[in-house]
Amino acid sequence: MSTHTYKKFEEAVSGVLPDKMTVYQECLNAFNESPVNAKRCRTLISRLLQLLAQGETFPKTEATALFFAVSKLFQHPNDSLRQIVYLAIKELSVISDDVLMATSSIMKDVQNGSDAIKPNAIRSLTRVLDETTAFSAERLFKSAVVSKHPSISSAALVSSYHLLPVAEATVKRYISETQEAVSDLKTYPYVSGASDYYPNSTYISQYHALGLLYMLRNSDKIALMKIVQQYSGGNVLKNQLAQVQLVKFVGNLLQRDPNVISQFAPLLSGWLTSKHESVQLESAKLITSLPDRNVSPDLVAAAIQTLQGLLTVPRVTTRFAAVRVLNRISMVAPQKIVVCNPELESLINDSNRNISTYAITTLLKTGTSNNISSLIKTITKFIHDISDDFKIIIVDAIRTMAFKFPEEWKSIFDFLINTLKHGDGGFIFKNGIVEALFDLVEFVPQSKETVLENLCDFIEDCEYNEILVRVLHLLGKEGPTTKNPSLYVRHIYNRVVLENSIIRSAAVVALSKFAMVKNDPVLLNSIESLLRRIRNDPDDEVRDRATIALEFIEFSKSQPEAEVPQELINLTYSYDLGALESKLTHYMASNQDSFRTPFDSSSVQKLTEEERKATEYKKRQEQFSAKLSPGKESTPSRSTDADKANGNYSGPTMEEHGEDLRATRYAEELSSIDEFAEFGAIVNSSKDVPLTETEAEFVVSGVKHIYNSHVVLQFNITNTLSDVALDNVSVASTPEVGETSPLNELLTIPIDRLAPSETAACYVAFSKSESIVTEGFLNTLYFTTRELDPATGEPFEGDEGFQDEYEIDSLFITAGDYIKGAFVGNFSASYDELAHSEVAVYNIKEDNSLQEIIDKIIANTNCLPLENSQFATLDSNSHTLKVFGKGITGGARIGLVVRMIKSSKGIALKAEGKSDDAELCSDVVNELV
Amino acid sequence: MSQLSLYCVDAVLLLDNAGKRIYSKYYSAPHQEQGSAGATGTLAGSLNQELEYETRLFKKTQKQNFEILIFEERLVLYKEYVDMSVYLVGPLEENELVLQQAFSAIKDSLELILATGIDKKNILEHFDMVALAIDETIDDGVILETDPATIASRVTKPPSKEAQINIELSEKGLLSAWGFAKSKLAERLQQGL
Repeated sequence: MSTHTYKKFEEAVSGVLPDKMTVYQECLNAFNESPVNAKRCRTLISRLLQLLAQGETFPKTEATALFFAVSKLFQHPNDSLRQIVYLAIKELSVISDDVLMATSSIMKDVQNGSDAIKPNAIRSLTRVLDETTAFSAERLFKSAVVSKHPSISSAALVSSYHLLPVAEATVKRYISETQEAVSDLKTYPYVSGASDYYPNSTYISQYHALGLLYMLRNSDKIALMKIVQQYSGGNVLKNQLAQVQLVKFVGNLLQRDPNVISQFAPLLSGWLTSKHESVQLESAKLITSLPDRNVSPDLVAAAIQTLQGLLTVPRVTTRFAAVRVLNRISMVAPQKIVVCNPELESLINDSNRNISTYAITTLLKTGTSNNISSLIKTITKFIHDISDDFKIIIVDAIRTMAFKFPEEWKSIFDFLINTLKHGDGGFIFKNGIVEALFDLVEFVPQSKETVLENLCDFIEDCEYNEILVRVLHLLGKEGPTTKNPSLYVRHIYNRVVLENSIIRSAAVVALSKFAMVKNDPVLLNSIESLLRRIRNDPDDEVRDRATIALEFIEFSKSQPEAEVPQELINLTYSYDLGALESKLTHYMASNQDSFRTPFDSSSVQKLTEEERKATEYKKRQEQFSAKLSPGKESTPSRSTDADKANGNYSGPTMEEHGEDLRATRYAEELSSIDEFAEFGAIVNSSKDVPLTETEAEFVVSGVKHIYNSHVVLQFNITNTLSDVALDNVSVASTPEVGETSPLNELLTIPIDRLAPSETAACYVAFSKSESIVTEGFLNTLYFTTRELDPATGEPFEGDEGFQDEYEIDSLFITAGDYIKGAFVGNFSASYDELAHSEVAVYNIKEDNSLQEIIDKIIANTNCLPLENSQFATLDSNSHTLKVFGKGITGGARIGLVVRMIKSSKGIALKAEGKSDDAELCSDVVNELV
Repeated sequence: MSQLSLYCVDAVLLLDNAGKRIYSKYYSAPHQEQGSAGATGTLAGSLNQELEYETRLFKKTQKQNFEILIFEERLVLYKEYVDMSVYLVGPLEENELVLQQAFSAIKDSLELILATGIDKKNILEHFDMVALAIDETIDDGVILETDPATIASRVTKPPSKEAQINIELSEKGLLSAWGFAKSKLAERLQQGL
């Protein structure tokens, strides 16, 4: 071993790289040597590449010097040196100047080089070309694309693909050659002794050609259809990546026009049985992601069968991919994949924890009340062996179960409390369990006492302050209304004796709540004496709180009818936190008179306990049935989010936040308009209702704002035209019943000018004479179009514009607009309490599924679906939907039970409504659909 | 539409058993304007971001035989060897099995060209060939070839020193020795004539 190789060996092993300036100098010297020492140069370039791969970069001048030094080596005839030179050129072209200079020498190689390095030359050529020089390489690329050598053809196709953004016109000139390359099956020429390996063509140039072809034709739907038809038949496409690409083509076409499904259905079902797993997977993915109405149930069933088959293959990646798709389906339509349950169950113990987690969460979604307890048993067995991340995901899934099967709360609760007490785990995991238990207390009333008692045991030895404080808060909130409050008082007082000051202060607040709520003089007295003792606490915060609590108790004793202390200690409402936050930020940012005006909290929406619960409940439901959107899967990746956010794991996502802020935003917008100031505060704002097709020239959506004695319709209008501005845009809304309507139009606020691709709002205000008015509005959009001068973006001078009108859909104010969803723990009990009842019967002739009807009813009534009745089971023809809500003005409660039966003639509905308010009740029941 | 793009690999990484990089390549389309592709976001960032990403990835995958997982909204395929691991990172929505093809292509072709198996020392010693093999498999995010033998055959060996006689006693070596002897003999015969 010579000293030189020895040295290299040593460096390589220790992983210590030579200094980059040394490499730089050595490179420059060696590359300029004459004759060139090929072996040494290759070693040096290898070092250079190693440096670059480590993330080292060179300053621009040095990189350029290197680039030119390297390009001198083109003259060397040795292929193995030239190959690495091309790689170096590729890497260096990113960081050096004047790379264009190398173009001609590379081009020479593309023309005359040997087959071994031609592909490399072509691929580096792309890096040195730019939009001004690309055309000069057209002939080279064209001849390379049609080359019989697969590597050369692939290199040219991929390089053209890279060039597309700068030189689409050039690439388009050899579109027919590209098309040929798709169907051309190229094989490697047999060269004896050229290499130790026997290249076996995978025909991958088909994949590259197809990818390029799509980019060149993507604006032409017909051409794409033709491509699919041409290449799907027979044995044209041999390469499996190319076949996958073709499946994606079809997916893309279906996205553009869902109606072409009939043409592609046979193709898709053929692909499901393809010999390549990747093709099976891609088509199954595609089929199951299509909306239900566009695809026949048979095809979906076949796709699921394919996935089921993929679940049992020995390859990890395949199982992973299949279970991931199933997991995605389970969030939208768990009933479809119940057939896969046996396979999923066997995956629970899969060696890849990602797969087993997917399997479990999927199973939890497809679970029925029959197998839920056995499923939970299986999970209990292995929950202790897995990492925290997965535990969190499983606990999350179990938490949603509690919503789905409130009657199974006992086994869910047992599982939670066992893992909480016996499992080790970090804060996030424990907190997840406690959150789940909180949910149980809040939404499954019958579980309350058991859960609270067990939580009391748990806080006896809990190492996390945050969790302790939260549990104490919950005990303070829920404990006083239980049968045996003194039990909790004992536990809470134990904390005061044993814990640190933070927990002590939380415990004091909890204790004071027991004193205030319960009209139990014995308990009150004992708490008082406890609080007196606490007044000697060493920590001043604890002392303060105890003193205040005692003051309140004294005060309410002397004036039993006073509500102040009651309200302060036991809040009956909370602020809409999202709204409060945005208001406060606004207040802080504006800082008009250095905060001399105090913050006005009355403008923030207050939520009563019930309303808060209803929104929470709805959020959970939405989480539970979260529709699939890219990147929003509840997958193991969530745990990484949790890692990152470190504690902020259950914070609402931006979208949810946006939803919260919707009402606030409207309120702000409208209150800034002087005309509406006298109407008072908005009582309720509806969601956006689209009134036109989304492809229309003018996209309009409507929002209904209800005031105490007024109604304001807001029309959000988007001008999608690029060269026309709209002036004086107004909407004429006429009540359908005409003159007799209880609504009187007051004013219209038009939009002065709507520039291209802008959105603005036009308002129409009505006064209403009755508290609840339901009405339909016929709407027409009036406007003057003005063509714009493309140079200035202003209308042409002297252009009068011309008046036009545009029919848009009707907007309906329904009884639902006067209702907000409300949560009740025990539906039937609350329902029976209500006084006025009303029954209506409907027959729906259209061919709708039960689920569509359910969704429509929920949207129309604005009520909160309870007892998990918002999901219809696929295999049954009848369903009962239970919803509950509260009137926005009077606070009248309303409950609805809708029974529906689907037959060949359509769907029959029988709606029974009960409410405190007879008018509201009849309005809702009679305007259900 | 991005799913139809041929750009389906975000990065190929070779990390050693301490999570330090041996080889790394973050792909971004060569002629894409910066920011225009920003909607989906390439993984490539500044050196520090990349190194941090590698550390996080390594921590997550080390000693856990997952083979495939979702990490920070991307699919990651990886394999651990004795003292190093190979990673391939692709977009979340990509067909897992397509990525698997590319990943196996890299893995198997490395196995072919590194005759004594994949380990850190071997890779550092034959860094040129490793870099070439990966370059022949993936060209700036586009899968170029998936057949390991084809890839291996496209990777040239470093030039041997002029007239260095290299006789190995393996089957290959005997063959080349035979070829060498034949050419020498022919030369001699020609000279003799």
